[in-house]
Amino acid sequence: MPLIFELLQQMAMIVVIAYLFSKSPAMNYLTGERLHNREKLVLYIVFSLFSIFGTYTGLPIQGAIANTRAIGAVLAGLIGGPVLGVSVGVTAGLHRFSLGGFTAFSCGVSTTVEGLLGGLLHLYLRRQNKLELVFQPVVAFTITFFAEVSQMFIILLLSRPLSDAIALVRVIALPMIFANSVGAALFISMVRDQKRVRDKIGALFSAKAFTVADRTLGILSRGFSSESAREMVEIIRQETGVGAVAITDREKILAFSGIGADHHRPGNPVASKWSQQALRENQVVFVNGYDEHFQCPLSSSCSLGSALVVPLQVDQEVVGTISLYEPKTKLFLNINRSFGEGLATLYSHQLLRTCYEEQKTLLVQSELKLIQAQVNPHFLFNALNTIRAIVRKDADRGRELLLELSNFFRTNLKRKSDMVPLEEELAHIGAYLEIEKARFGERLTVELEIDPRLKSLQVPSFSLQPLIENAIKHGVATLLDQGRIWVRAYRRGGLALIEVEDNAGCYCKPLESQGLGMQLVDKRVKNRYGNDYGLTVDCLPQEKTLVVVSIPLPKELSSDSDSDH
Amino acid sequence: MIRTLIIDDEQPAREELALLVAETGAFEVLGCCSNALEALRLIKQERPELLFLDIEMPVLNGFELLAMIEDELMPHVVFVTAYDEHALKAFEEKTLDYLLKPVSSDRLQKTVSKLKETIRRGLPPRHQVAKLKYIPCQFAGRVKLIPPDAVQYIFSDLTGLHVVTAEGQFFTELTLKVLEERTPLLRCQRQYLVNPDSIDEIRLLENGLAEIITRQGQLLPVSRRYLRELKLHFEL
Repeated sequence: MPLIFELLQQMAMIVVIAYLFSKSPAMNYLTGERLHNREKLVLYIVFSLFSIFGTYTGLPIQGAIANTRAIGAVLAGLIGGPVLGVSVGVTAGLHRFSLGGFTAFSCGVSTTVEGLLGGLLHLYLRRQNKLELVFQPVVAFTITFFAEVSQMFIILLLSRPLSDAIALVRVIALPMIFANSVGAALFISMVRDQKRVRDKIGALFSAKAFTVADRTLGILSRGFSSESAREMVEIIRQETGVGAVAITDREKILAFSGIGADHHRPGNPVASKWSQQALRENQVVFVNGYDEHFQCPLSSSCSLGSALVVPLQVDQEVVGTISLYEPKTKLFLNINRSFGEGLATLYSHQLLRTCYEEQKTLLVQSELKLIQAQVNPHFLFNALNTIRAIVRKDADRGRELLLELSNFFRTNLKRKSDMVPLEEELAHIGAYLEIEKARFGERLTVELEIDPRLKSLQVPSFSLQPLIENAIKHGVATLLDQGRIWVRAYRRGGLALIEVEDNAGCYCKPLESQGLGMQLVDKRVKNRYGNDYGLTVDCLPQEKTLVVVSIPLPKELSSDSDSDH
Repeated sequence: MIRTLIIDDEQPAREELALLVAETGAFEVLGCCSNALEALRLIKQERPELLFLDIEMPVLNGFELLAMIEDELMPHVVFVTAYDEHALKAFEEKTLDYLLKPVSSDRLQKTVSKLKETIRRGLPPRHQVAKLKYIPCQFAGRVKLIPPDAVQYIFSDLTGLHVVTAEGQFFTELTLKVLEERTPLLRCQRQYLVNPDSIDEIRLLENGLAEIITRQGQLLPVSRRYLRELKLHFEL
């Protein structure tokens, strides 16, 4: 009986060790995921020491040692796999062998076998995809139980004289099997609890990070400005609970919230050397408050004592910082540190995106400008010349044409939006065509076939004009006889198709070598709807040129399926 | 009165210019044409002293029209254009004048003075005339533009000038003289032009005559006078 108490005493020690272990960095390695070599090495050292310690704290009985050495080896195998288990087993076994006694050899061997058993169970559980069972105390208890039973058999098999071995096993079998199994289960239970706590903190942390990201990213997408910064610092401070939060651009504070807001004012220049360092070197600067103290450059009575300054960057270039502060009375939590860094990375990505979106908008605008500028001066002067001639014969017709001309140019100059209803686009080219009809007289006829349901269809602005211009310049204007142009809009499948056809067939070049105007239409459609859509040119030399713009048909327009054409 | 043709493909523009021109009282308008081919025919018929010539026209533009006019028939030219000054720059020194549409009467008046001066001094029209890019041919009611490279040979008979290509035989209103001067084609006989690239063999005959066998196996006559030039061309 006293032996059991002795062993229980040992177990108490094991629990203490397990507790200390669970508080140490080595614990980080027991995440239940696949382990890397470096982590395995750390675990090897820890469990070997644990196992050897078990030997030393054992009680000498009849020339042998009743001990808790098995726990280290079995758990090493269970947590880290057969290689780790056997390594720890061999190490602790050799150590036991070096201590001598008539069971020296058998105990050395059995410890190795125990490590192997733990490892085999680990392998089995991994194959079954149930590796999380490793952290079940019942599993640890069972495998240690079997390991210890097998140890007893090994002692009986290998130790001589056999009579001594039998006598020894009779005394130590029960207490050792019991003590080791319970010890292993206790250890695992301890580790598991600690792991749970950590997971819970991790989950809370992730949830918080998501909340902050969710609430602030939208604000940032409106641009990096004092207004957006003001909203963001409030949210970050609320969610993290840090003492104060600041966002700066390269020169000044954009927004500040929290302790010290009385003297850290928006608009102040970036004053602290740490912020300046972060801006200058594009690096995270952390002042933890005990190795180095944050000293407010503005006020000696400022109670902020620690700070994390993370640069915000767009495309490798620092555009500002985001800083978290804690007062002197509070420790800066590591969690908040990694949180701040993560947030800054996220914001940098968002800023890059915003920047990209802005450039895209600019590009569209400049392209629109280009299209407007592309309006052929030929057209203007020919139009004026035509009207001048017509006024002489038919003043009213001349006045009408002047109206068409001014409508056409007004639209050209005023229109800023990227998309317009098809109806508006048709009105625009309508004015253009009226003038061209007057200019070419009977040489030009135009037929419009427009599906009335498509009048509200949104199309890229100025997308028809270059097509019509081409049909006239390279079509009708090159024909000696009657020139005809057809403008059609219809639905087919999931597509809205807009066609301009002429009967000249003079424009048989591939799209890439077409005019800039046509290429831009294609590019703008593809940018908006993807590469399955856009502009195609079909040509039968001397017969016809057919240019088709395809756009995905919006749902509300595809409702009735009687697409004509 | 300066005998004048107006050439513009747009009817209103044509009418307007005719009216403006008439208002000056300095011109006799022989006709208005809507394209280069019509103009070419009228130039041969009426032998005008002056053309008011639009640049952008269907099929053949104003410059191309000039390339088709024989030197003896070449009139003075006033270009009329909506926006092509830059295209005219190269031409400017050689051409008499140009007008921008819409044409103002004052500006036209200046042109009249210049023209009168030029004609009084009897200066011949001197245009830098480009090589012919195309030979315009009538074909089934359309105009076919044949690049000189595609020509095998050209011959004239009582009905006119025939251009022979791989696709067949086409009728053109241009003269052999213009074609000889402004294309790489070579004269081999009074009535024949041949593309040097389609000559397969030159067979010398008695009494200084010769014949050409084309790559297509066609036999063409070579006269004594042009044999010498042929030999020079091929450095024989």
